[in-house]
Amino acid sequence: MKSKNLSENILRSVKSKGFKYIDLPSVIEANHIVQRSGENFRKFIFSFIDQNGSELCLRPDLTIASCLRYLENNLKRKEKIYYSGQAYRKSQNKKDSIIRDQVGFEIIGSKDEKNDDKEIINTSLKSLQNIKYSSGILTIGNVEIFNLLISKLDIPNRWRLRLSRHFWREKYFNDLLKRLETNSDVDPTIVEIDKKRYFKMLKEDLSKVIAGRSINEILKRFDNKIRDPRGTRKGENVSKIIKEFLKIKCPINKAASKLNKFFKKNKINLIVDQKYFPISENKISKLNVVFSASFGRQLEYYTGMVFKIDIKSKSKNRNIINGGRYDKLISDLGSKNQVAAVGAALNLNY
Amino acid sequence: MKKNIINIGIPSKGRLRKDILKIFKKNKLNLVSERGERDLLGSIKQLKNIKVLYLHAREIVERLGDGSLDLGFSGYDLLKESEVNIQNKINVSKRYDFGKATLVIAIPDPWIDVQTVADLEEIAFEFKDKKKKRLRVATKYPNLTREFLFAKGVTQFRLVSSLGATEAYPFTGSSEIITDITSTGETLKANNLRILKDGKILESLACMMTSKSSVKKREVKKLIKLLSEN
Repeated sequence: MKSKNLSENILRSVKSKGFKYIDLPSVIEANHIVQRSGENFRKFIFSFIDQNGSELCLRPDLTIASCLRYLENNLKRKEKIYYSGQAYRKSQNKKDSIIRDQVGFEIIGSKDEKNDDKEIINTSLKSLQNIKYSSGILTIGNVEIFNLLISKLDIPNRWRLRLSRHFWREKYFNDLLKRLETNSDVDPTIVEIDKKRYFKMLKEDLSKVIAGRSINEILKRFDNKIRDPRGTRKGENVSKIIKEFLKIKCPINKAASKLNKFFKKNKINLIVDQKYFPISENKISKLNVVFSASFGRQLEYYTGMVFKIDIKSKSKNRNIINGGRYDKLISDLGSKNQVAAVGAALNLNY
Repeated sequence: MKKNIINIGIPSKGRLRKDILKIFKKNKLNLVSERGERDLLGSIKQLKNIKVLYLHAREIVERLGDGSLDLGFSGYDLLKESEVNIQNKINVSKRYDFGKATLVIAIPDPWIDVQTVADLEEIAFEFKDKKKKRLRVATKYPNLTREFLFAKGVTQFRLVSSLGATEAYPFTGSSEIITDITSTGETLKANNLRILKDGKILESLACMMTSKSSVKKREVKKLIKLLSEN
C-alpha cells in the first residue's frame, strides 16, 4: 500500500468528477461469484461457511461487491459511485499479494454509454495525475467489435457463440481456432451410429426428461449439429481472418481507418466511425494512446469498451488502472433486466 | 529409539490393499498384527523399527503430506486430487503395474448430441442461458474435475460432491453428469452412462509415495529400494 496521502489524493480527484462515495461489504455470498464466473473462480476466493451453512467469501474484487449492492438495493436510477478498500484473492503466483488495495469508480444504470465511457477514462486520467511516472501507455480495446466481426463470418451459429464466449481466454481460444480449421468436433462414423439411435428416439415421448434435458432438446441439437454445412477450407479461411484481426494494433487515431481497411479487404460488411472510440488523441500528457483489437481478454465480464493504463515508474513497467464496460454483470448476478455499467479500478499496490 | 521408527501407510481395504500386501509377501516381509486382520496397526516381523498403519487410501496421502507417515501406498489419482501444498510435500518413489484406472467424464448415454467436451461446453451455456441453472457435475474428485473442465473451456458448471454411487446421480436428479474413476467402463455402461470421446481426465495407478521430509532417512531409502525391486 502506498502512502495514505496518495490514496486520499486519488479519492479527492475522483470525487471532484462528481462521484459519490459508498461503503461496500467485505464479505459476500460465494454463490454470487460461482453464479457469475462458474466453478473455477472458487480457486481464487477465500471462502468459509457461516453458522447456517451458507458459503461466504471475502470480496475478490470491488466491482462485484458494488454491482451486488446496486442489485440488492433494487436501484434503478443512474449512479456515479466510488469506493476504496481491499480485495482478497488467492494467486498461483507467489509474488502476488493476496490483498489488493484498490480505488474504484463506476457509472451504473445510465443510458448515455459513449459519454460514460469517456467520463470513466477521463476520471482515470485525472487520478493518474497523483502518481509519478516517466511514460506510459493507455491501451483501448472493444469486445463489441470482435463480436460484430464474428457475427459476420461464414460459420455455423454454434461456432459464433463459442468464439464469442471464449474471446477472453486466449489459450483456449487458440485451441478453438485450431479446431475450427480442422472441423474435428463432428465425427462422421459416430454420427452414422447415432443416427439410428436418433430415429429410434424420435418415436419416444419427446417431452421425457433425461438428466435435465428433454428428448426433444437432445434431438434438436443433434439434428442441428450434423447439418453443419461447412468444409475445412472455409474454417481455415475464417480462422485466418480472426487471427489477422487480433493482430491489429495502432495509434488510436488510426483505429477506424485500419479496421475499415481490414473489413473491406476481407469483404466484411462493417464500418467503424472514429467517434466510436472514446479518445482520438494519440498522446495525452505522458501517455501514448493505442488501440488493440485483441485487448480485453483478461476478464470474462467485459462487454464493450475496455482499457488499461501501464506506466513506467522507477524504470519498471506497472499496470495501474484497468477498466471497461460490463453491461451483463448485474443481470448475470440475478437482475431481470440488463443494467448498463462501466467502471475502472486503480491498483494501489503497483 | 523412537526417533528411528518408520511409519508406513497401507490401504486398509479393497483391491489396492491386496495388491500391496502381495509386494510385501514377494519380498519375504511378513506383516503381523497383534489383534488379527482387523487391527489397524501392524509391524513387519523382519524389520523391527517399522510401524504399519492401515488407513484409507485418501488419508495415506494426507498423512504423507503432514509427515506423520514416512512412506505410503496409494493411488496416483488421490495424490493429484489433493491440495497443492500436500502434493509439494510428497515424492512418488515407484509406480506399480496394478491399480490402473482412469478418471473420466461420463454423460447420460441418451444425450446423443454430446460426443466431446466441446459439446459439453455448449450444453453448459445452454443450462446457464436458457434454463438459468448451472450444469451440475457429481464427483469424488472436485479438484481434478474443475481443472480439467476449465482447461477444456467448460466454465459454467457447479460441482456436487459425491461420496459413492456417483453413477446414479444423473438419474436421481442430483446432477446432470459425473466424473468417476473406472477401469473397464462396465459399471458406467451398466448405469446408462457414456464416457466422452475426449473425456479422459487422468490415468491412475498404484504408487509408492514418500514424504519429502523423510526421503533422506537411511531406513526409508533402504525400504524404498527393497520394495521397488518387485
